[in-house]
Amino acid sequence: MLYDPDHYEMQVILPDKSRHTLPPDPQNIREILDGFGCNPTSVIVIRNGTVVPEDFIARGDDEIRIVSVSHGG
Amino acid sequence: MINGESGDIPGKDKTCSFCTKPAVARLTDPDRHLCADHFIRDCEERVRNIMIAEGMISHSDRIAVGLSGGKDSTALLMILSRILASGGDDDSSEKGARENDAVRPTADLVAVTIDEGIAGYREETMEAAAALVGRFGISQQIISFRELFGSDLDTLLKGREEEACTVCGVLRRRALLEGARRAGATKIATGHNLDDEAQSVLMNLLRGDLPRMVMDTASGYPDCFIPRIKPLLPLSEKEIVIYLMVQGAFTDLPECPYAHTALRGEVREMLSSLELQYPGTRQKLISARDDVREIVGAGEPGVRGEGAVNRCRRCGEICSGEICAVCRVLELANEKN
Repeated sequence: MLYDPDHYEMQVILPDKSRHTLPPDPQNIREILDGFGCNPTSVIVIRNGTVVPEDFIARGDDEIRIVSVSHGG
Repeated sequence: MINGESGDIPGKDKTCSFCTKPAVARLTDPDRHLCADHFIRDCEERVRNIMIAEGMISHSDRIAVGLSGGKDSTALLMILSRILASGGDDDSSEKGARENDAVRPTADLVAVTIDEGIAGYREETMEAAAALVGRFGISQQIISFRELFGSDLDTLLKGREEEACTVCGVLRRRALLEGARRAGATKIATGHNLDDEAQSVLMNLLRGDLPRMVMDTASGYPDCFIPRIKPLLPLSEKEIVIYLMVQGAFTDLPECPYAHTALRGEVREMLSSLELQYPGTRQKLISARDDVREIVGAGEPGVRGEGAVNRCRRCGEICSGEICAVCRVLELANEKN
């Protein structure tokens, strides 16, 4: 199937488990974190099930899960 | 710590600075992207380096690892198991031999798990701790507040929930010490990380408790208490979570129901913001504390202006006054109950 950006939405799952959608345009993950008010020193980013650094890019129908690191010690 | 150049291709995700695998983390000072394997090695190497530099482990040490089953103590047990099993790199030089001796597998591990008695929270982490010691074949000593103090934490905190972390901290330290004694340990290793330590420095400052800030529990007075070591100090909380996640060892356990009552939560938020804006803040706070320690000679008996080390009149444990903190906490709890 050809890539059609109109049919994709990025899924962002925040530490409080709330889900949000973003347009499929390529975006630096750090910008996504900033947009949701997440401090990169306090969260881990999991893109499509894999841990990634914040300077990676998210696009298309990527699922971005943001996990807080600050509890459960 | 390992060094290298990041594989940076415009429009593409960065690869590891040391191989072609995708990066899982970007670390600074020096700037590097690391794949899962190199990230694990980097973390373990930094822990091993601080253990050697600070002489944390001696020949024939028996190390009691405070194992709650949470992320920090899980990582601590995993890393120590690996470091002690590897015994360090081969280095036949005199200096190398001395350094390797510091982490040779003559030291052995025993896990000490404290069951504070927090309904709906502790059960899950106790199970995680038991599974971990089973996996690594390490013996485990379990001490409960009920056995040691006659009551669980939930009962002791009735009517004073806002003091939860202070009360729990005092009792946990004693329980850990008791567990270490029963296990015949010569050192106690705890999972305090870079964030915890920086938060403690700032909290002590905010409380105006300079003596506590400079107190160095690593030295230990002879025959008084078992020296404590904090091998995870070079690692941030985030690095610890990544370390566990990339090995499939991270479990999203519930948060302690008393955690929201703590000043630590506010300090944590504050320090995270400062670290983002001014990278290195956490490490600078710890370094400043260490400088103050050196100036006042912390670790030597009597340096806190309280004279020689005393023994509690009630329980006989080491304390700075006449009655130890544990006895005071229990006395207050009995009055309220």
